[in-house]
Amino acid sequence: MMTLILRRLLALPIILIIIYTLTLTLAWAVPGNPLENPEKRPKPEVIEQMNKQYNLDSFPKFYISYLTSATGIKYASDLVSGQIQRERDAAQAQGTPLPARPIFDLGPSLKYDDQTVNDIIRDTLPVSVTLGASAILIALFVGVGAGVIGAVKPNSFADLSTLAISMIGISLPSFVIGTVMLLTFSLWLGWFPIAQWGTPKSIVLPAFTLSLPFAAYIARLTRMGMIEALGADYIRTARAKGAPERSVLFKHALKNAFLPVLSFLGPATAMAMTGSFVIERVFTVPGMGEHFVNAVQNKDLFLIIGVVLVFATMLIVFNLIVDVLYKWIDPRIE
Amino acid sequence: MYRMLLPALLLLALVAISVLSDKPLPRADLTYINSTEVNTLDPQRMTWMHDLRTARLLYQGLVANDVLDDNFPIIPAVAESWTISPDAKTYTFHLRKNAKWSNAQPVTAHDFRYAWRRAMLPDLVSGYVNMFLNIKGAQAFYDWRQQQLEDFPDRTFDSPADRQAAAYQLWEQTKLKFDNLVALSAPDDHTLVVTLERPVPYFLELCAFAVFSPVYEPLVAPYERPDPTTARLLRKPGWTKPGTLISNGPFVLTRWRMKRDMRFEKNQHFWDKDNIAIDSIDIPSISDPNAGVLAYQTGAIDWIADIAAPYRGDMVAQKQAFLNEHAEQVAQYRAQGLDQFTIDRLLPNDPRAHTHAVSSFGTYFYNFNCNPTLPDGQINPFADPRVRRAFALCVDKRSVADEIRRLNEPTASTLIPPGSIGNYTSPAGLPNIGDAKDQAERNAIIAHAQQLLKDANFPDDFIVEIAFNKDSGHDLIAQAIAKSWQKHLGVKTKLEQNELTIFKEDLKTKQYMTARAGWFGDYGDPTTFLNINQSTNGNNDRAYNNPIYDQLLEQAAIELDPIKRMAILTEAERIIVEEDLPLIPIFHYATIYMFDAHKLTGLSTHPRTKQNAYLIDILTDTKGPNQPKPMHRAQTTEAPSP
Repeated sequence: MMTLILRRLLALPIILIIIYTLTLTLAWAVPGNPLENPEKRPKPEVIEQMNKQYNLDSFPKFYISYLTSATGIKYASDLVSGQIQRERDAAQAQGTPLPARPIFDLGPSLKYDDQTVNDIIRDTLPVSVTLGASAILIALFVGVGAGVIGAVKPNSFADLSTLAISMIGISLPSFVIGTVMLLTFSLWLGWFPIAQWGTPKSIVLPAFTLSLPFAAYIARLTRMGMIEALGADYIRTARAKGAPERSVLFKHALKNAFLPVLSFLGPATAMAMTGSFVIERVFTVPGMGEHFVNAVQNKDLFLIIGVVLVFATMLIVFNLIVDVLYKWIDPRIE
Repeated sequence: MYRMLLPALLLLALVAISVLSDKPLPRADLTYINSTEVNTLDPQRMTWMHDLRTARLLYQGLVANDVLDDNFPIIPAVAESWTISPDAKTYTFHLRKNAKWSNAQPVTAHDFRYAWRRAMLPDLVSGYVNMFLNIKGAQAFYDWRQQQLEDFPDRTFDSPADRQAAAYQLWEQTKLKFDNLVALSAPDDHTLVVTLERPVPYFLELCAFAVFSPVYEPLVAPYERPDPTTARLLRKPGWTKPGTLISNGPFVLTRWRMKRDMRFEKNQHFWDKDNIAIDSIDIPSISDPNAGVLAYQTGAIDWIADIAAPYRGDMVAQKQAFLNEHAEQVAQYRAQGLDQFTIDRLLPNDPRAHTHAVSSFGTYFYNFNCNPTLPDGQINPFADPRVRRAFALCVDKRSVADEIRRLNEPTASTLIPPGSIGNYTSPAGLPNIGDAKDQAERNAIIAHAQQLLKDANFPDDFIVEIAFNKDSGHDLIAQAIAKSWQKHLGVKTKLEQNELTIFKEDLKTKQYMTARAGWFGDYGDPTTFLNINQSTNGNNDRAYNNPIYDQLLEQAAIELDPIKRMAILTEAERIIVEEDLPLIPIFHYATIYMFDAHKLTGLSTHPRTKQNAYLIDILTDTKGPNQPKPMHRAQTTEAPSP
């Protein structure tokens, strides 16, 4: 177990560097200059100055400088070489104290002048995590419940109706479901607020909408696993020894049927927790998802790389957690 | 079994923690949607309209515009009075003694000097640096600093410490250089003397522009220090964050959560705070236009500053239907000279009446590439002004405004919205087929256009390319224009749709034939529009180059008599819109607001579309005088400068 965790953690930085290289190469190729206001053009010198300041004039320079400041190498080397102390002294001599400097510096946002990528992720990631966790939670209960119902009596009315609902959940785009929910529950019935993130009430609609495709998928996985498990010998044994049906379903069958669901949960949680562009827009959730789209449109290099790296890290970490849980739930697994 | 519940429990704990840690504040006195997320609160770096609008809550400049006056005059702000020298070059501002920063420190002339110096530094990259270069010596200072920064990387040093010392030394030298070169001085804490390179008749208008706001040096300076390797001032974000930011305007920033909301509370040290009728403002970030309208309908929002919802045309039509139901009263009120918001308040309250189309200081137009050759090397027929005029005549502007935009926008025959700048007379411009009185006039215009094309030997089989970016209905307008060119001029057309960034890049590099465009003015002078057609201007996407036009603008820049100067500028615009047509003005923009005129007052209907949210009074609350604030006209307009 420990070797598994250790091996994965050691691989993490290597994977991240590969992802960083790929992302930067692609983002670099996006046309347009991120520093320009598209309506009113600043002087060419202004653009040139900014290109220099952010190393946007040379790919290798940018590649190295981002890598060193994001990993904290720059901070460490400045600390060792005495650069940080020198700057602090110079500032003191001028009578202007130095503002704090982050160790892992993901750079400035080129579009939002007053924000660093650290600021943006700090502000928006918790929102996305809350929404994503709620959605996965709903998906888990709804999905497993529907899957078990379907598996108990395959092809019955209950099974077919859960199938129909899952199909709707998977195929209807979330902006349609989201808008319908918003109109019905917020505008007409007035049960939930519109566009005011923060209260538990405001989480319900977006979390439910976000959970639908995940719930549908989990329902299908559970149903499949349960049908297979319910036909197995050990279930017959359990029933033969007179175990109550509830115990047969949930204790014996679900334990095996749950494993595929668990492995789906890793990437699903990472995906849900890093935000969804559509859900965030429809329900005005101030999460991180929109930056995956808008940062590319704005060619906000630092922000593109920042959110991609956060997503990659979460994906890897959640997969690791799932693997650990897997082993813990089913100790037979190597 | 219970082991399976562990993932669920982990997730539940996560949700519980985050919900419990997020405490909502009570609703603010005023909640409005500011079109989109603020880019910066650093006034010297602002370029966007919604940033500038927010800046006027936080900062106060030397002077301001009275936005509720039809003449839009300059009124005192931090400066309580000023004098202008007879040669119209030297301005002496007398600052009021009770102007304070939000930390109770006095606002001094030095704060303005510091802020304006920031804007003149090439390394701090202010988008509006050109406005500051009007000040005597500013250009020389800018060029000197630029040269020093270019030379610095080539200098050799023994150690990193030496290099850093030199960078700091250069910065000290720069500050001295500024003192010596730039004619901007503070003889005492409350006097600011500015001398201009040459008379700038709209200099006070510039001083009312938020980019000229002061910033608090002890706050900002620590965030801007020389980079030890390049000697450039490195700008670190951070001082504009709530709790850190110190400002001198009517409000202070108390919360700013990216993409979520901004909260402002009344500045208890603001000298004129007793005349502010609201104590708190909330600006939620609602990027989806539809969600914004829905939130307004549930009562969570008091004012939407720019409705972009796709069905806004229908909203405007419903408003028109409402006005038609009360046509008699409306006509009567209009005859009395009442403004549109006052009329809405006098009519019965109706949800349809909450939509307001307000004329704005901007124009939608079509660009021609005026280069002699096209990007593919062939001869450019649009280099001939006769061809451009012919195409301009055959745009049905009326149908674009009435059938596609549907926002009650006036069709445009000039670049500058007529009536938006006091004592400026707009030229007549060319007719267009959409605004022809009858079929006979329409046919005459078409015949004239066809003749122009014939005279110019417009090549047969030439395919006219129309470039535009997707979104915002530009495609529909392009189709309509293409259709009327095909029909009336018999030319072939091709539509080219692109992403905004690619489209803008093509305009900049002149990789197009004709393309959609738009421009919003910054300050109350015709040059804010006319400058974009100067041959050397960075925003001259048309590659338009007419020495006579350039000369007229030069001539206007040195003309001291304001009446003569305006006449020169009228002539310059006349060349653009009647003879040369490097662009076809199509319509003047309207901005669509949503608010209840029975509840909220203090917004301006002036076509400059400059709103000062701190003037707003909620009529239905207990705070402020709760008196409606109609548009008024000052008794005496400002005496023209000598």
